[in-house]
Amino acid sequence: MEGIRVVEMGQLIAIPAATKLLADMGAQVIRIESCSRLELYRATSLYENSADGDYWNRAANFYEQNRNKLGLTLDLSRPRGVETLKELIAVSDVFAENFTPRVMRNFGLEYSNLRRLKPDLIMVSSTGYGHTGPWSEFGAIGYSTEAASGLTHITGYKDGPPALPEIPYADYTAAEHTAFAVTAALLYRARTGVGQFIDVSHSETLSSTVPEALMDYAVNGRTFERMGNRHPEMAPHGCYPCRGNDRWIVMAIATDAEWTSLCHTLDASDWLLDSRFADAPSRRTHHDELDRLISEVTHLWDHYELMHQLQAAGVACGAVLDGRELLFDPHLRARSFYRTQIHDASTGMPPLPYAGAPFKMLETTESSVCPAPLMGEHNRDMLSGLLGMPESTLQTLESDGIIGYGPVSHLEPTIVPLEDQKRQGGILDYDPDFKGTVRKEFYPT
Amino acid sequence: MPNAALEGIRVLDLTHHIAGPYCTKLLADYGADVTKIERPGHGDPCRRIGPFPQDQPHPEKSLLFAYLNTNKRSVTLDLKSEAGTRIFHALLNEADLVVESFSPRVMLSLGLDYESLRRSRPGLVMTSISNFGQSGPYRDYKATDIVEYALGGMMYVFGANHREPLKHALHQAQFKAGTNAATASAMAVYRQQLVGECEWIDISIQESMASALRDTASLYSYMGAVRRRHAEHTGDIPRSPTKVRDGHVVPISFGAVDWEVTADFLDEPRLREPRFSTPEGRMARARELDEVLRESFARRNKFETFYEAQKRRGLIYGVVQTPQDVLDSPQYQARGYFVDIEHAAIGTATYPGAPFLMSETPWQARSPAPALGQHNDEILGGKLGYPPGELTRLRAAGVI
Repeated sequence: MEGIRVVEMGQLIAIPAATKLLADMGAQVIRIESCSRLELYRATSLYENSADGDYWNRAANFYEQNRNKLGLTLDLSRPRGVETLKELIAVSDVFAENFTPRVMRNFGLEYSNLRRLKPDLIMVSSTGYGHTGPWSEFGAIGYSTEAASGLTHITGYKDGPPALPEIPYADYTAAEHTAFAVTAALLYRARTGVGQFIDVSHSETLSSTVPEALMDYAVNGRTFERMGNRHPEMAPHGCYPCRGNDRWIVMAIATDAEWTSLCHTLDASDWLLDSRFADAPSRRTHHDELDRLISEVTHLWDHYELMHQLQAAGVACGAVLDGRELLFDPHLRARSFYRTQIHDASTGMPPLPYAGAPFKMLETTESSVCPAPLMGEHNRDMLSGLLGMPESTLQTLESDGIIGYGPVSHLEPTIVPLEDQKRQGGILDYDPDFKGTVRKEFYPT
Repeated sequence: MPNAALEGIRVLDLTHHIAGPYCTKLLADYGADVTKIERPGHGDPCRRIGPFPQDQPHPEKSLLFAYLNTNKRSVTLDLKSEAGTRIFHALLNEADLVVESFSPRVMLSLGLDYESLRRSRPGLVMTSISNFGQSGPYRDYKATDIVEYALGGMMYVFGANHREPLKHALHQAQFKAGTNAATASAMAVYRQQLVGECEWIDISIQESMASALRDTASLYSYMGAVRRRHAEHTGDIPRSPTKVRDGHVVPISFGAVDWEVTADFLDEPRLREPRFSTPEGRMARARELDEVLRESFARRNKFETFYEAQKRRGLIYGVVQTPQDVLDSPQYQARGYFVDIEHAAIGTATYPGAPFLMSETPWQARSPAPALGQHNDEILGGKLGYPPGELTRLRAAGVI
């Protein structure tokens, strides 16, 4: 995507994660931030769980979503800030934003205005429920849009309420579709010279990934039942305890041959003689009893060891990896999925690993990864380099506070000591020696 | 001028099940010319996955297959036969992009690996979708959706702390990887059209999951902490589906919960009592607090709560919509999300439509999912010029 310039007015995940995919593949992405309205992700999950110093440059969530981008701050509450943004858009290919529609209207940044500045501009607006319709101005985050999509209602333990994951899942689904939409629009523009407006609704993109449930209702009038980790056909199909604190393995048995392999590996050949487990329909009927028996055996096993043994026997299964295990997983390491980024010295942060792109282009040499920008890091480069502003103008913008290098109003970061988080159940545990462990694996020199 | 974003892009689709077909569906629905190659006799195994109308399994009536294969044409081809390989290469000459989702090594065993295809079709883009990618120690491990949830890290942070980890219903890992595959394919085709260079894209479903996890691995690298699932009795408003009279809402505030606003909104004077007036008090009496909240929510209705919350500062509650709610949603209807598509075997059914709206090149349902081998004559006879007698022979030999 080299040669493509994207101006991003994003926040949280839905747009930042989409433009990150473009940036990873070489697009120049300029991220606009406000010093007076600090992005929430600059104030959460801070390095060493500490709000000391320039905490806004030490936030995991921000670094995860914004690598390979350039950072420019602009005060859009003042005309000069908006004018500067428009000048940038006029020399860009794509403008991407995820605010409720009234925000862009208030700034005069609607597509109809912007395409007068840049006739072939591609603009993408990413909102919780869509840019039009009676819910268009509703506030939303990933949990609410996931709930609206239809997915949440059918997800959850069999005997429990609907369930949501701890991460804002719908935002990612929206981001993944947005990256596709922008690329499709770029392909169209390359051949026709015509730009366009793309309207992404987070709940609708997620609904597009649950057609089974929506069409079953539309055609058969039936609503899927919540069934936990069970499967309409495969049995056993579930998540089983392993040795240790909160360790688990999942398995999915599709055939009788796999069932036989499972029984042999678990040294439970007597199950093969039990008529209750003779075939998949019987195993589904007696799934509760089967789960009890399997758990009695799996809890003696190490989850990784059992995974390797079962896979060797041809059984689809997987250890349930926690965040730490993911980082050090041998397969992901062999594929260099987590890649080290070197942070600016001013952050006081050592080089750290971050999840890579969800695709590998095997013919393209991977360029080195730049960490997400410090606040205002590229103010001067962009404004003088791209817009040709003279030094005197830059100084005026700085002294007027149109551009800046840190928040003028702070979001007080909430720091909960890790011991308290552990007691409250937000985290399983914490490792006081994490720095050495991470350095040894990801930055040994 | 073309009226679809990807019009003119020719795709050979060797995928099956869900991830690959969702990738090529996105391409086809936005205008690409997708030829789906299926195994003679059986076809895509997704043809046997439900739901089916009236629960009557039939290879032409899978609603999931019908959804995933709109706007594609189906050709059957035995890729293990010499004649089948010859036909494949003839089709390859007309293709910009090949998408496949076999286990790694299958394409090589068919003589259709990237190196070979690139030699016969310079400038080719090939997208390979697999469970764990084309390299690494788990490359040949077996997986289904739940395995991708486990090894992709999503599952550990999903569910209740005191119970087993959970996954989403249905096939989210597959759809996620399919979306990423469509993006990567479109990016590589963009470059192909500019500079004519070939590309091989390696999509690992596991990595698609692991790339969509906010501060989970990073929580360890940033502070040594291991993120967990949902805790009960936290002394806060539960940011999880909460029971109301006729369903569930998700009581979310933007930023920290404003207890004054919440007490007022729920019309619940007990939330103003001194025992709940400080974070420490709420934490110490978390069970009592949950009981008060449970009772207050249980008096309400879901949509009324959802709409009323939108009028309050800082409250951005969500509503858990049932499939029926989604179909009836005034928001979805105003945006024309659902579309009716006529299919020869299924009849007219309502499908999810555009995942996103494009002003100049809208999503289009040009044709329903194909019957198995529906376009053999059109493509092999019409496009490649095989005479009818030869097609009859190929059919008799089981090549098509």
